[in-house]
Amino acid sequence: MLTKFETKSNRVKGLSFHPRRPWILASLHSGVIQMWDYRMGTLLDRFDEHDGPVRGVHFHATQPLFVSGGDDYKIKVWNYKTHRCLFTLHGHLDYIRTVQFHHECPWIVSASDDQTIRIWNWQSRTCVAVLTGHNHYVMCASFHPKEDLVVSASLDQTVRVWDISALRKKSVSPADDILRLTQMNTDLFGGVDAVVKYVLEGHDRGVNWASFHPTLPLIVSGADDRQVKIWRMNDTKAWEVDTLRGHMNNVSCVMFHAKQDIIVSNSEDKSIRIWDATKRTGIQTFRREHDRFWILSAHPEMNLLAAGHDSGMIVFKLERERPAFSVSGDTVFYVKDRFLRFFEFTTQKEVQLAPIRRPGSVSLNQSPKTLSYSPTENAVLICSDVDGGSYELYIVPKDSAGRADYLQDAKKGAGGSAVFVARNRFAVLEKSSNQVLVRNLKNEIVKKSPLPIATDAIYYAGTGSLLCKAEDRVTIFDLQQRLILGELQAPSVKYVVWSSDMESVALLSKHAVVIANKKLVHRCTLHETIRVKSGAWDENGVFIYTTLNHIKYCLPNGDSGIIKTLDVPIYITRVIGNNIFCLDRDGKNKLVTVDASEYIFKLALLRKRYDHVMSMIKNSQLCGQAVISYLQQKGFPEVALHFVKDEKTRFNLALESGNIQIAVASAKEIDDKDHWYRLGIEALRQGNVGIVEYAYQRTKNFERLAFLYLITGYMDKVGFMCKIAGQNNNLMGQFHNALYLGDAMKRVEILENAGQLPLAYITATTHGLTEIADRLAAELGENIPSLPEGKARSLLIPPAPLTASGDWPLLRVMRGIFEGGLDATGKAELEEDDEAAGADWGDEGLDIVDASEAMANGGDGFDAEEGEANEEDGEEGGWDLEDLELLPEAETPKNAGNARSAVFVAPPPGMPVSLIWTQKSSLAGEHAAAGNFDTAMRLLSRQLGIKNFAPLKPLFLDLHMGSHSYLHALATAPIIPVAVEKGWSESASPNVRGPPALVFTFPQMEDRLKAAYKATTDGKFPEALRQFLSILHTIPLIVVDSRREVDEVKELIEIVREYVLGLRMELKRKELRDDVNRQQELAAYFTNCKLQRVHMRLVLGSAMGLCYKQKNFATAEHFARMLLENNPNEAQARRARQVQQQCSGKKDSSELNYDYRNPFVVCGATYVPIYRGQKDVSCPYCGSRFVPSIEGQLCTICELAVVGADASGLVCSPTQLR
Amino acid sequence: MAGAASPDHLFGLRNSFYVGAYQAVITGVQAIPARAALSPDALAERDSLLYRSYIAIGSHQLVIDEIGPGAATPLQAVRLLTVYLSGGAGGKESAIRKLNELLADDAVGSNPILRLVAGTVLMHERDYAGALKHTNSGGTMELLAMNVQICLQMHRSDHAEKQLRIMQQLDEDHTLTQLANAWVDLVMGGSKIQEAHLIFQDLSEKYPATCLILNGKALCLMHMGNFEDAEGLLLESLNKDAKDAETLANLVVCSLNLGKSASRYLNQLKLAHPDHMLVKRMSSAEDSFDRACQAIS
Repeated sequence: MLTKFETKSNRVKGLSFHPRRPWILASLHSGVIQMWDYRMGTLLDRFDEHDGPVRGVHFHATQPLFVSGGDDYKIKVWNYKTHRCLFTLHGHLDYIRTVQFHHECPWIVSASDDQTIRIWNWQSRTCVAVLTGHNHYVMCASFHPKEDLVVSASLDQTVRVWDISALRKKSVSPADDILRLTQMNTDLFGGVDAVVKYVLEGHDRGVNWASFHPTLPLIVSGADDRQVKIWRMNDTKAWEVDTLRGHMNNVSCVMFHAKQDIIVSNSEDKSIRIWDATKRTGIQTFRREHDRFWILSAHPEMNLLAAGHDSGMIVFKLERERPAFSVSGDTVFYVKDRFLRFFEFTTQKEVQLAPIRRPGSVSLNQSPKTLSYSPTENAVLICSDVDGGSYELYIVPKDSAGRADYLQDAKKGAGGSAVFVARNRFAVLEKSSNQVLVRNLKNEIVKKSPLPIATDAIYYAGTGSLLCKAEDRVTIFDLQQRLILGELQAPSVKYVVWSSDMESVALLSKHAVVIANKKLVHRCTLHETIRVKSGAWDENGVFIYTTLNHIKYCLPNGDSGIIKTLDVPIYITRVIGNNIFCLDRDGKNKLVTVDASEYIFKLALLRKRYDHVMSMIKNSQLCGQAVISYLQQKGFPEVALHFVKDEKTRFNLALESGNIQIAVASAKEIDDKDHWYRLGIEALRQGNVGIVEYAYQRTKNFERLAFLYLITGYMDKVGFMCKIAGQNNNLMGQFHNALYLGDAMKRVEILENAGQLPLAYITATTHGLTEIADRLAAELGENIPSLPEGKARSLLIPPAPLTASGDWPLLRVMRGIFEGGLDATGKAELEEDDEAAGADWGDEGLDIVDASEAMANGGDGFDAEEGEANEEDGEEGGWDLEDLELLPEAETPKNAGNARSAVFVAPPPGMPVSLIWTQKSSLAGEHAAAGNFDTAMRLLSRQLGIKNFAPLKPLFLDLHMGSHSYLHALATAPIIPVAVEKGWSESASPNVRGPPALVFTFPQMEDRLKAAYKATTDGKFPEALRQFLSILHTIPLIVVDSRREVDEVKELIEIVREYVLGLRMELKRKELRDDVNRQQELAAYFTNCKLQRVHMRLVLGSAMGLCYKQKNFATAEHFARMLLENNPNEAQARRARQVQQQCSGKKDSSELNYDYRNPFVVCGATYVPIYRGQKDVSCPYCGSRFVPSIEGQLCTICELAVVGADASGLVCSPTQLR
Repeated sequence: MAGAASPDHLFGLRNSFYVGAYQAVITGVQAIPARAALSPDALAERDSLLYRSYIAIGSHQLVIDEIGPGAATPLQAVRLLTVYLSGGAGGKESAIRKLNELLADDAVGSNPILRLVAGTVLMHERDYAGALKHTNSGGTMELLAMNVQICLQMHRSDHAEKQLRIMQQLDEDHTLTQLANAWVDLVMGGSKIQEAHLIFQDLSEKYPATCLILNGKALCLMHMGNFEDAEGLLLESLNKDAKDAETLANLVVCSLNLGKSASRYLNQLKLAHPDHMLVKRMSSAEDSFDRACQAIS
C-alpha cells in the first residue's frame, strides 16, 4: 500500500473521487461533508447542512455538482463552486444509504432504509421511479457504467439487478400529462418503470454492498456473513461464481478495481483486502489497529483508491507508478510492460530489447523499483521489492535490439538495493548485517564490506564508491579503503541524481531537494510543499526537477523558480537545452519543450557572463516583472533598465543604478516636481552640475539654483538670478543673491526700494558709499540711526571663487557590457591563385625576331632490346598465424646458497616478438623493424640489386624505433618494450603474433607524391627532387597487403623514376651557363620523360622558349605544336601560336643531338639519348636506362642499386610469397 | 592489510605510488595526522614509499643523504637502489655486492622491500632468473606484480598470466592487480588490448591522471592502430611533465607511426634520459646498421 494522503476526522461513511481534479469528497458521521485536495493535502471546503450522519456522497461527472444523502431522509444537490446547496429532494421515509449520479442522464439513484430505491430527475427535481421489492434496509444502489441497469444490496440477504430501460424510453419524450400520470402511478402502484431482472441469493446474512464490474458482466458483493461473492449474469439469468473468504467481520464495501484485475474489499474487521479477480485468491491485506472500515472508492481514471474508517480516511494506491529507469550517456534504459527498453535522445527512437521474466508468484507492487546500467558491459541490474527485496542481473547482447528472445537467464539474489559500482562490479545491500556484498557479473561475491552507518539504501557515487542512505543523512563510502569520504544531513533521501561530470549531486526527498558536491559538501536546499518527483542536470549545471504539478529549476546559488505547470506527474530523464525528455506514469517517452531563457539568463548573471546577458537582452527573449525584480534584488538595476516600460519604475531604477541620462529622459516624461527634485539630488551627488541646473530650472527652484551658481563660481549667473528675482518682485530672493554677489550697492538699492531706509543708510555707510549715505541721511532727516562707536569697520564680502568650474571630474569608466553593440566585421576572403607557376619555368617574354635558317637533325637507331623478365624468387610461405608452441628448453639453474631459492626453478626465457618476426618474414621492411639489418640488406641486395645502403640508414632506424612502445610498469623498474603489431581488431586472438606495424605505408607514399607534384608545379626543383628521391628510397621497405597494391607500387616506381631523371636534367641545365646547345638538348630531353600533363605543358613551354631564343626555329615549332596538342591554358596557347607563326617554314640555327622523330630513352648518367636499336643497360631497382659503359656503377637515379646487376625483383607483400 | 575498524592511512599513498603520482606521495606523507600512531612496520613502509618516490622523480642525492647507516633494513635497501641507479659501473657493483650481503643475512634476507629492491636491480642487470629467485615466493602484492613484470620481460606471458591469477585470487580489485592485468593484456595483444584500455580508463576515473596512466591509455590506442588519439594523450602527459622518459619515448614511436618527424622528442629524450632503452636501442641499431653495411659491400 502506497499511502498518498490521510485525514483524521469523525467516522467517514461516504467517499467520492472527482473524475479529473485531485479532489475527494468525504461524508462524515457527524453530518459534515469535507472536500479535500488529496494531492496538496489541503481541505478545500466543508458543507454542513445535513442533520445527522451523511452516509452517501457523489461527484457529478461533468457538472460542478455533488449529491449527498443523510440520516435526515434528505437528498441534497450542491454546487461546490458557489459553496451552497441548490435544492433538496424529499420522499424517502428513512435513512439514506447511498446516492449516485447517472453518468449521462440527469438522474440520481438513492438507496434507503425505507426498503426502497428511488431514481430522481435532478433537473426537474422529481422522483421518476420507486423501486420496491427489497423487504429490509437497502444498503446500496448504483447505476451500471454503460447499460440501463441498477444493482442494489439489502439486509434481506439479496442482491437485485434492476432493468430501467423503460425509464430511459419514457424520459426521451416527456409530456405533461404522461408525467403527471407516471407520478400518480408511482405513488399508487410502485415502480412500474423499473423491473427486477435478477435476484441473487446466496449470502447468509445482510448484504452491505454490491457493484458492477466496469466492463465485464460481473457483480461483486460483500455481506455481514463475512463473505465476498462474485456473480455472473447474462441476458437471461445470473448465478454465483465464487466466494472469497478471509474477512473476520462484516464486509462493509467491495468493488472491482478500475484498471487492474483485482477486487478490493474492506470490513469492520479493520482490514482492507486485495483479491485476484481471476484466480479468486487473496493477494494482500492491510490492517489498522483500531479503526473499522466503512467505505471504499475507486478513482474512475487513475490508479487510486480511498477507504473511510472510524477516524478518517486514506487515499492510497496499490502499485508503484514510477517507471524504473537509468540514464547513461545518450540513452535511457527503462522497464515498461515487463519489457526492458531503451530510448535514444538524439534519434528519439525507442527500442524494445527483451522481455523480463515475471516472478512466479502473483503479488502486488512487484514492478521494478530501480534500474542500474553498466555501459561497458551492457549489463542491467533491476531491483524490486519482491520477496522483501531482490535484484536481477541481465547481460544484454549487443545485437539484441529488436529481437524478442528472452535474455539469457537473469542472475538473481536477495538484497535491499543493488547498484553498479564499477565496470564489472555491483554492490548489494544486506540490511540484516548492514554490509554490502560486492559481486562480479557472474553474481559471485568478490568482497564483503561492513557499512559505517545503518543503511537503508545504496546508490552509485563514482567508481568504487557508494552513497549510503540512512534515516536522516547520507554518506559517501569508499569500498576499497572502507572510508567515509563525505557526509551530509538530508531528510529521508529517496532518489539520487548525479551531474554528468559527477561533480554535483541532487538528493531528492519527499519535500526537499538538497544539492551538494561530490564530497557531499552542502550547497543549497530547496523545500517544497508538495512531493518532489524527479530531476536531472542540464549541461549548464542547473538542476531541473519536477514536483507533482510543476517543472522547476535550481541554480547553483540556490535560486529556484517554476518553468512549467504539469497536469500529470512526469519523470525527467534528460535535459538538453529547451528540451526535457521524460517518462510518464505509463512508461511512455515524452518530450516537453520549455522556455529555458529565464534560468539561463539568471545563470548568465550569476556567472558574470555578461555577453550572454547582453545577447539575451538584445533579442528581447525575456519579459515580465519577476525578472526585473530579480535583477534589482541581485544588484543589477542597470540590466533591469532595459526591460522597464513604466517611466516611474524606470526612473527609480535609473537613479538606483546611477544612470543620469535615462533618469533625465524619464523625468521629462513624468514631469512632476518630486521627480525633478529627486533627479537634482542624485545629479548633485554625482557632481553633474549641468543636470542639477536643469532640474532646478524645470521646477523653478530659484533659490537652490542661485546657491548652485554660487558654489560653482558662476557669478554672472548669480547676477542673472538677481535680476529674475527682481522681475518677480521677490525681494528676499533678490537680497539673497545680492549677498552672494557681494554687491553692497545693489543691497542698498534693494533696501531703499523696500522702504528700509535706515538699513540702507547703515549698509551704505558701512561699505563706504559716502554719496549714497549722504543722500539717504538727507532723506532721513532727524531719524538717522546711530552707528556703534569705537568699532573697526570691515567689509562683509563673500570670498571670490578661484575658478568657475562645471561638472566634477569623473573617472573614465569603460562602457558597460550592456551598452554599445557588437559590430561584426566580415573578413575578406583571401583568393588563392590557381596553378601559380614559378619563375623558374623560364616564362620570360619572348623577343620575336626574324629567323634565318634551320637545319634538320636525323639518324636511325636500333630497337632497344627487351629487358630480362624478372624472375620471382621462390621464397618460403608468408605469415604463419597459428599458435606458437614454445618448447621449453632444459636449463639447469645455478646452485645458489639460499636454500629456499634452490627449490625454485626459473622458467627459461621465451622468444621476443621481434625474433618471431624475423623467422616468418621475407620482407625487408619487417626485418628492418625487427632490427635484423643484415637480413634486410641481403634481401634488398638480392631482390633489387641495392648496394648503397647509406641513404636507407634513417629509414632502417625509424622502422626499428617505431616497432615497439614502452610500458612503464613498476616504479624504478625497467620499462617493458611492447611490440606494435599490425591489423588489430576487437576479435583478434591474444598471443597470436601479427607482423609489425611499419612506420612507412603506401598511402604515405601517395601523399608524398602529391607534395612532390606540387613542388614541381611551383618550380621548386631541388625540393621536388628531394621528395621524389625519398619515395624511391622508402619503397623498398614498405609492405602492402594485396596484389593490386603491389602493381600500384611498381607503377609508382616508374612514375618517380621519370621525374627524378627529368628534374636532374633540369638542375644540370641550370648549371650550364655558356653551353646553350647543351641547355637546349637537356630541355628537349626533359620533354621525353613521362610526366603529368600539367608538368608536360610547363616543360614544353620551357623548351619552346629556350629554342626560340636560340633561333632553333624548327625545334621550337615542334615544341609549340606539341604544346598545343596538350590542352594548354589560354596564355600558354597564345604564346605557342605566336611561336608557331614566327617559326613557320624556318630552320634550326644550330644542330642539336635531338631527333624527336626517333624514339629514344635518356641515359640516366650521361643524359644522352639512347635511340631505339642501340644497346643499353638498366637499373634493377628503378628501371632507369643507361649507356653500356655505365654498367657496374651506382645508379644515379635511385642512388641505391648497381646498374646492370642481377635481381629477382621487388617483394613488398606477403601475397607475393605464396 | 590493516583492520577495517581504523582507516588505513597508507592506502592512498600506496595507490598514488602505484599509479605514478609520486609528488602526491611526497606531500601525502606530510599530511598523515600525527595522532595516527603508525606501527613500526607501517612507519618503515611509509618511509620506503617516500624515498622510492624521491627516486622516481630523480632526487637520488637526497635519498642517499637522508638514509643513514642506522636505518632499518627496508630503507637500507632503498638506499642501495638509489646508489645503483645513480652510480656508474663502480657504484653499481658496490650496490650489488652490498645487496647480496643483506640478502645472505638470515635475519633480514626475507624482508619484502629488500627482495623487491633486489628484483629491481637484477631486472636492470637483465638477470631475470636471478630476480625471480628473490621474488618468486611473493608475500606482498608488489612482489607478485614484480613477478608478472619479470615474466613479461622474459617473454613468458604464460607464466605472467599464472602470477596474475595468484594476484586476482588474493584481491582482484587491488590497484596492482588491475595494473598487472593491463600489462599482461597489452603484451598478449589481440582482443585483450581493449580490456587493458578499460582498466586504464577506470584508473583515470579513480585517480588524477598521471603520466603512467596517460601512457598506458596511449599505448592501448597505439596497439589498436589509433595513433592520432594516442598522440593527444601523450601530449597531455608531456604537458604534465616535460621530461617524462616514457612520454618522450612513446611520442617518438607515435610520431614515427604517424609519418611525422620525431627528432625533437628524440633529442629531448637523449638530453634528459641518455640511458633510456630507446636511446640505447637507437645507438645499438646504428652500430648494427654500419656493421651490416660493411658486410654487404
